[in-house]
Amino acid sequence: NKPPTRKQTRLTEMPRRGRIGVGRASAAPRFTEKAEEMKAVSLQSAMETVQKLETKLADFSKKHKHEIQTDPAFRAKFLQMCAPLGVDPLSSKKGFWEKVGLGIGEFYYELAVKVAEVCLASRSRNGGIISVSEVRRILMKRGTKFKLSSSTGGKVDKYSRDDIITAVEKLSKLGSGFRTVHVGSTVMIVSVPTELNNDHMEVMRIANEDGPNKGRVTVIDVQRGTEWNEDRVRRALDLLLSEGMAWIDIQKGKNSFFWFPSVWKEGFDSFESEE
Amino acid sequence: MTAENFEYPDFYQFPPSFTIQPVLATREKQLALWRELILKYHTDLRIKTLVVHECPLWKNETIGRELNEAEVNAVMEDFCKSGHGEWEDPGTKTRCRILWRKPEQLASDLYDWAEKNGFINSVCTVYELHSGEDVNGMSFQGADEQLLRRALAVLESQGRCTVFKGETSSEDGIKFF
Repeated sequence: NKPPTRKQTRLTEMPRRGRIGVGRASAAPRFTEKAEEMKAVSLQSAMETVQKLETKLADFSKKHKHEIQTDPAFRAKFLQMCAPLGVDPLSSKKGFWEKVGLGIGEFYYELAVKVAEVCLASRSRNGGIISVSEVRRILMKRGTKFKLSSSTGGKVDKYSRDDIITAVEKLSKLGSGFRTVHVGSTVMIVSVPTELNNDHMEVMRIANEDGPNKGRVTVIDVQRGTEWNEDRVRRALDLLLSEGMAWIDIQKGKNSFFWFPSVWKEGFDSFESEE
Repeated sequence: MTAENFEYPDFYQFPPSFTIQPVLATREKQLALWRELILKYHTDLRIKTLVVHECPLWKNETIGRELNEAEVNAVMEDFCKSGHGEWEDPGTKTRCRILWRKPEQLASDLYDWAEKNGFINSVCTVYELHSGEDVNGMSFQGADEQLLRRALAVLESQGRCTVFKGETSSEDGIKFF
């Protein structure tokens, strides 16, 4: 007698839904079903929760529309509320937030464009790295204002560093090559594809330290601050120099200074060349 | 405007501006800024000639930086190459005529003015072009005669005017077409 084939075994065992099962093995499919059911239920309820949250946030934003549009600090807090909930009031998708009529999506889009312009215009002097504060200062000096979306009217003329950072994050998501980096406590925008590694960032951090030498370093300054060997220091400085992020200052009989236009405390309000 | 109230651009306070940068892209930016400064300084102060060893721009006492001789030469070479300056003494290169507007720019300014004021097919003198009554506010008003002649030469090569000799050089005549 041949032992029964699997197929025959299956037929005689009669498990539900055609699955094989004897003893312990038959419990598994039932658990799997249950798990699937539970997943479906929790997904459903999660979706409902998110929808409820979005509605709540939309109601909030309707009530506080004016504050969100005119007060940068309030606006920042509002966005911070939305973010962890996965709600993005700046999303360009039509429908939900469009109906709310907050108009800030357009504001951030326009701000992003202006920020990109400032970064590109200043690239030849700072190599493509510029502080958020400086960008803001330049835009404020130009008197740049931003329209809210046409449905809401009005203009935004008060915007904060956080607004600029948010705008750059939007640009970042579009794969534009724009990104923010932290140099010590200063947030900077990098608009070139240059790979800045930790060594480069550390050199910039040292140059950014407050004090009488803010904006510049010598090879020895960097060695003192990092304990790297001279080779490593020079390699980092060479890249920053070749990228135009640092300029060299050579004086007879003195150590050369490496200056960083993006960090130089005097700033370059009128550095933009006509040519 | 006097030298005292001339407004220096920010890059003039940036110490590395006084070191010719080794990196090409940075150097190009730097030289462009120097060109603009030289032109603006001499235009605002109405100085027609830059005497290289007397020019106060090369040294900024406030920040304790200066361009050395070789660096000054590099800046001047670039300045002249850009068409904004012309050596009075190309051999020794000590005196540079500042061309406030490039001859080509002046040429088109002259022709536009001639058109607007009905001077096409009529004659005026070189003197009238820089000091006449009709040139108030024009870019060529008070222009150095040499510069004016350069501009007129451009127009001649374009077939837009002819220059013919008068009794003195100021009386040389120009006919616009």
